[in-house]
Amino acid sequence: MALLEVDHLSVTYTPRDQPANRAVHDVSFRIADGEFVGLLGESGCGKSTLGNAVLRLLSPPAHITGGRVSFDGVDLTEADEERLRELRWVDLSTVFQSSMNSLNPVIRVEAQFADTFAAHKVPGDVTARATELLELVALDRRVLRAYPHELSGGMKQRVALALALALRPKLVLLDEPTTGLDVVVQRSILTRLAELRRELGFAVLFVSHDLGTVLEMADRVMVMYGGEIVEDRPAGEVLREPRHPYTRGLLGSYADPRLPEVRVSYIPGRPPDLSRTHTGCLFTARCPHAEDACRTTHPDLLPDRGGLVRCLVAQEDRLPVVTLGTAEAHTALGSHFPATAGLDRPADPADAAPVLTVERVTKRYTSRRGLRTSSVEAVRDASFTLRRGTVTALVGQSGSGKSTLARLITGVERPSTGEVRFTGGDGPDLRVDRLRGRALRDYRRHVQMIFQDPFSALNPTRTIAYALSRPLANFAGLGGAAARERAAQLLESVGLAPAGQFLDKLPHQLSGGQRQRVVTARALAPEPRVLIADEPISMLDVSIRAEILELLGDLVREHRLAMLYITHDLLSARLLADEVLVLNQGTVVESGPTREVIGAARDDYTRLLLDSIPNPFAKATGRAASPSA
Amino acid sequence: MSTPAPAVPAPGTDTEGVQAAATAVARTTRLPGWFVILWRNRKCRIGLLMLAAFVLLAVFAPLLAPYDPHEDAFPTSLGPTGSHWLGTTAQGEDVLSQLVVGARTSMLVGLAAGVLSTLIGLVIGLTAGFVGGWVDEVLSFLINLGLVVPALPLMVTLAAYAPVRGIWLIIVVISVTGWAYGARIKRSQVITLRTRDYVTAARFAGDGTARIIAREIVPNMTSLIVLGFMGAALAAIGGEAGLAFLGLGDPLTVSWGAMLNQASLGGAMLTGQWAWLIAPGLALSLLITSFTLINFGIDALSNPHLRED
Ligand SMILES: Nc1ncnc2c1ncn2[C@@H]1O[C@H](COP(=O)(O)OP(=O)(O)O)[C@@H](O)[C@H]1O
Ligand code: SF4
Ligand SMILES: [Mg+2]
Repeated sequence: MALLEVDHLSVTYTPRDQPANRAVHDVSFRIADGEFVGLLGESGCGKSTLGNAVLRLLSPPAHITGGRVSFDGVDLTEADEERLRELRWVDLSTVFQSSMNSLNPVIRVEAQFADTFAAHKVPGDVTARATELLELVALDRRVLRAYPHELSGGMKQRVALALALALRPKLVLLDEPTTGLDVVVQRSILTRLAELRRELGFAVLFVSHDLGTVLEMADRVMVMYGGEIVEDRPAGEVLREPRHPYTRGLLGSYADPRLPEVRVSYIPGRPPDLSRTHTGCLFTARCPHAEDACRTTHPDLLPDRGGLVRCLVAQEDRLPVVTLGTAEAHTALGSHFPATAGLDRPADPADAAPVLTVERVTKRYTSRRGLRTSSVEAVRDASFTLRRGTVTALVGQSGSGKSTLARLITGVERPSTGEVRFTGGDGPDLRVDRLRGRALRDYRRHVQMIFQDPFSALNPTRTIAYALSRPLANFAGLGGAAARERAAQLLESVGLAPAGQFLDKLPHQLSGGQRQRVVTARALAPEPRVLIADEPISMLDVSIRAEILELLGDLVREHRLAMLYITHDLLSARLLADEVLVLNQGTVVESGPTREVIGAARDDYTRLLLDSIPNPFAKATGRAASPSA
Repeated sequence: MSTPAPAVPAPGTDTEGVQAAATAVARTTRLPGWFVILWRNRKCRIGLLMLAAFVLLAVFAPLLAPYDPHEDAFPTSLGPTGSHWLGTTAQGEDVLSQLVVGARTSMLVGLAAGVLSTLIGLVIGLTAGFVGGWVDEVLSFLINLGLVVPALPLMVTLAAYAPVRGIWLIIVVISVTGWAYGARIKRSQVITLRTRDYVTAARFAGDGTARIIAREIVPNMTSLIVLGFMGAALAAIGGEAGLAFLGLGDPLTVSWGAMLNQASLGGAMLTGQWAWLIAPGLALSLLITSFTLINFGIDALSNPHLRED
């Protein structure tokens, strides 16, 4: 008997104002003691719903509509709340993406451990045990005395992990535990997790949209699409040869940015609408290998190459053979999908006219605590130029000063010393560091922002048409029908066509990628000269990142914009940017044309960033992907 | 249980999520979204129906009351009879008529003081939260002052020493003592909302502060405003009844509090006029119950996990 047995589990959402949604359909799998299983797929494929259903954490309008879950011999689908409470946290614990925000803000970390021990009647010295647990997740014991708000996101997530492990559970459900964290932090948490699992021997169900991360860590991966499992095979086998076209598509998002030629690919389109009934294979609309039979016959999950696969063509062994495991071979895989984000660059970026110059800028923040003042230099002596039709990537860990630089450029803050000059306007040059009031407001039309979190960048109560109408009214004097028409054009220019379908929608009715497109359209509305994109893809699914990057690249070239692309991800910088600046603790440590900086990184910090990029191919070849200068 | 549990937002925290749901619902029904969500909650529906009954009673009081409530030509201290269902007072007025007309007073006080203190709280909370800096410090001091000053004694003192007596005085006194709590909640909500990217985005789109507050921030607070209004109205109704019971109300206004006051002064207990004594208290507690039931729905509005979808 396996530790966790899931048989024919189905979950349906029956919300009141929308049609019912079959989020999980007839899913069966086993997890053995100590096994590390990855659950993958784009958002909306039903991963979290499945994970929550397994733990019986679903709340209305979600309902388990069929099937059985048994954990360690106990039937969870039948168990009462009392029994579940005993099991949860003791034998079965969880860490969510939001766990770091659900630590109790008003009590110290130590007290949170004490509460957990008390709630489950664990005897012994709290401090000693809590210290031991913190050491497990590589945190200093001083963290015990801290309040959650004094810790960084990564540290809080480690505390959440330590709490989840506090009672030595047999199975831990991790739902996107590192999504949204910095690459370096993400890397160190995952490394620690892998070690812990080896030491303590718990089983893991790891839910993620990031195939790269999961393949590196898991024994076995299950790929989910449209509420069904489409591939369930050992991780090594999947890397050697992914069998489902969807899995292959997901793998297309990874590449080693150090290679001389880098290509990533994406799967056009979105997952199917599960409130409608579908005949045939759910992936047909997006599948490059689809045949007539796929439209009418729903494939079964059948044994194939050491696991299970749900694809008619693969089951007849007619898919083109792709042997992954070398980064070179992956380049070939990407071409299976028609849309490939490969960007042309101008021959020499120095030709392009300067639009904005940052010269020897330092920003010092002074904070006063009682009588002592302390000052930090968020940016130290930074100089660079943004040029027309050129993307400049600003790369660095969180806290390295990237967003401070963005605020200096947009005039939200002023530098302590140094100059910011805008030379891209029609009028005379502007000293941005001296603008105020009306002049600052006028300047902003030239400098627009794309935000990191597309869910917070659009007001949930305002329609898309309203969001787009504001810059049009304020900067172009357009109102009424003229504004609406222009808004529609803008939507089409960012790939949201036909625009009529989107104008009157509310943000929550759009997917993350669509929202990010709307945010981009709004930024384009005043016809700016400079576009600042602050980590525009880090909150998006890996599978649609390439799509948004391609859009941004096209816009830069089409509108001859100067773009500052802020990121901690060197792969996307390699794909989009002409020039790279690497920022470490406020200082520019490396800069130059993208290929030179990334291909032959000299700075230790740049190398650390490179090594932190998830690279599934490294495991298959048994080495880190080799840098090729 | 204090074991870390999966994140369930505390009531009142996810006002944007609520607003998004409410806005979406509103587009299908033409009714305000928050109302639809309230209506769907069973307890809340009962509360709304009860409140509606009181509102109708108040609006049509002159038609429904069998006599003029000030008419004192009837026999005094009657028990319930065919022509005086709830008897008469020690002055010879009809108790039922006073009860019906008294609903008007309670409703008027609840509505007016609710609106007034919500407005004061909204303006002060929004300004403090959005403007920040020394303005916030001054306003926060005012808010804290409003919170620590004990409302009831202040109300009693103000009402006792005011040179004029009248229902509007009571309304003003209640509003002045009752705005601070709502202001504090709104201030902290604005502080979270103003750091949202969509507020920054509106700045970059060229919008000014007033428009940002009115169009970006306030719409995300409607559930909080409704909640604040309900709380303030309830407190005002209770406050008026309390003052009137203590004899500090307007002697010319018929109200449930004043009825209780007269019933105890007029010796209803001694003459065994239970109807006179119980009716106003019962009406008051039914009204309070209706508010409490509506509050169940408001909790559901703020916390999606309690919503009966
Ligand atoms: N509260 C909800 N009401 C209605 N549908 C929902 C709700 N939550 C999720 N869904 C739907 O269920 C499906 C699976 O969602 P989810 O399990 O969150 O996927 P994932 O974790 O893979 O991103 C999606 O189609 C989503 O729209
Ligand atoms: S069954 Fe057909 S459509 Fe579905 S994944 Fe296989 S080839 Fe593609
Ligand atoms: Mg999820």
